Amino acid sequence: MKVSCVCGIGVSFAVALTSAAAAAPDISGTYWATSYSPAIQVLGGGSPPLNAAGKAAYEKIQAGLKDGSIVDKARRVCVPDGVPRVLATPYPFEIFQVPTGQVTFLYEMNHQVRVVVMDKPLPPRQTLIVDAKYNGHSVGRWDGDTLVVESAGFNEWTFLDASGLPHGDEMTTVERIVKVGNQLEDVITIHDPEMYERDWQARFVYDERNDVRLEDYACNDTHRDLSGVKGVRR
Amino acid sequence: MTSGLPRMGHALAGAIVLTALCGAAGLLPVLAAEAPRTGAPPGLDLSAPGVAWAGFVAPKEPNYAIARLFNDFANPATGLGPVTDGPDHPYANNEVAREMRIPPTYRVADLNNAAGKNLKPWVREALARQNELVLRGRNGETREARCWETGVPAFHLNPGLMHIIQMPREVVLFLTGRARHIWLDVPHSANPRPSWYGESVGHYEGDTLVVDTIGFNDRTFVDSYRTPHTDKLHVVERFRLIDGGNTLEVAFTVDDPGAFYQPWSGTRNRHRVVNPNARPVEFDCPAFNDDYFNIGLEPVPTAEKPDF
Repeated sequence: MKVSCVCGIGVSFAVALTSAAAAAPDISGTYWATSYSPAIQVLGGGSPPLNAAGKAAYEKIQAGLKDGSIVDKARRVCVPDGVPRVLATPYPFEIFQVPTGQVTFLYEMNHQVRVVVMDKPLPPRQTLIVDAKYNGHSVGRWDGDTLVVESAGFNEWTFLDASGLPHGDEMTTVERIVKVGNQLEDVITIHDPEMYERDWQARFVYDERNDVRLEDYACNDTHRDLSGVKGVRR
Repeated sequence: MTSGLPRMGHALAGAIVLTALCGAAGLLPVLAAEAPRTGAPPGLDLSAPGVAWAGFVAPKEPNYAIARLFNDFANPATGLGPVTDGPDHPYANNEVAREMRIPPTYRVADLNNAAGKNLKPWVREALARQNELVLRGRNGETREARCWETGVPAFHLNPGLMHIIQMPREVVLFLTGRARHIWLDVPHSANPRPSWYGESVGHYEGDTLVVDTIGFNDRTFVDSYRTPHTDKLHVVERFRLIDGGNTLEVAFTVDDPGAFYQPWSGTRNRHRVVNPNARPVEFDCPAFNDDYFNIGLEPVPTAEKPDF
């Protein structure tokens, strides 16, 4: 009698846990921005707070892009954009929450993949240096309805935006990604004392578009019509 | 307000203690709730956490028959198979070379075996030209090695890790930074826009995922011999688990009346690998892939004008 009573409580505990697990936010689906800006827009206005080294690097990159001595490889040969530039993509992307332990972002543009690891910490510093990636290494956790993504271990071959905004190789970012209604918001904080005077933020908003199928993408191919995305010039 | 995590930890502790008292039944609903909805039949769960599918696992002892399939299709049990090498120019891939301690070669297609005779004249001529280039020491690299999209069925050839995400309405295949989408339980579009991997629609037949693909462009090769095809290409793939779930068999049939007299078939097996640290990788192929040795490699896909 007593045992069955305890088991009854056990079931109710299990049910409590079930509902907690089931309540894990579902942000899976397809999303598409409605506007694009080649220059990243700083949250709160103003310009990215470049320090002296950052200003010098930015001027050098912009001059190089202009005279052709520096190639924007993300557009020329379609290597990954890097973070946060990939967040500005005018193409749709898809988020998967299968399998457990990771949230996977698949971008239509150049089939870029970002895996946010949910079940492990960031790799040690040596790994981040030796195995640096275009889109870095990312780990995530849920803070209520918000997916908090920390990234580090970026390689040195990306710009923060299409204007050539620089970053140092020890840049780290934190993103807070939340779905509100049929929109997804990603607010990213850039921490990069090598190039910037202080941490700064940018905000990206996407419409949920589960009516859209991601298409194949190859460099120099004919791609999706982007006329519905404000700010895109082809 | 307390966050969800400590609450869950507390409940989990309670569930574990009480499960110890009551037996495993108490925990069952928990496990059921945590399993994501994949829509996969029980016999074809391909997207479990930490699981990937390797195109090649090196045998403990040198084994020519296994090494030969490092990055090639296997013949079907019966009927016409894929283009292969021939007795005049046996192909030694890097794995054969390593295991057999012989120099590696590029591929020279046998145009006189059954698969060779199944090629329409223009396909045969294209392969004859490619054979000649290779025999002159020029470009014998695969399209994939030059960072192009691989198409179907050549997508399967890479010996690396394939990650698969199964969901109720879509299955996604990740391999070497490339991705393919398979849309489940829907018909083909009336006029799919020609694309690299075509339009794939699929459904489960028991424990088999059947994928039907049309709508290809004509810019890929169906294999690593550089066998071309037309936009009439039609590929049916059947994915199933064999060897007690340790091998993913992909059996496919290729039909293209513009390129082949008869449909032909092949298989590609992938091996279950459990490595929680292996996740889908980013596509960095074009980063450092110039023709460093000047052997006539085709350029990597390059956009002279930015896309936007």
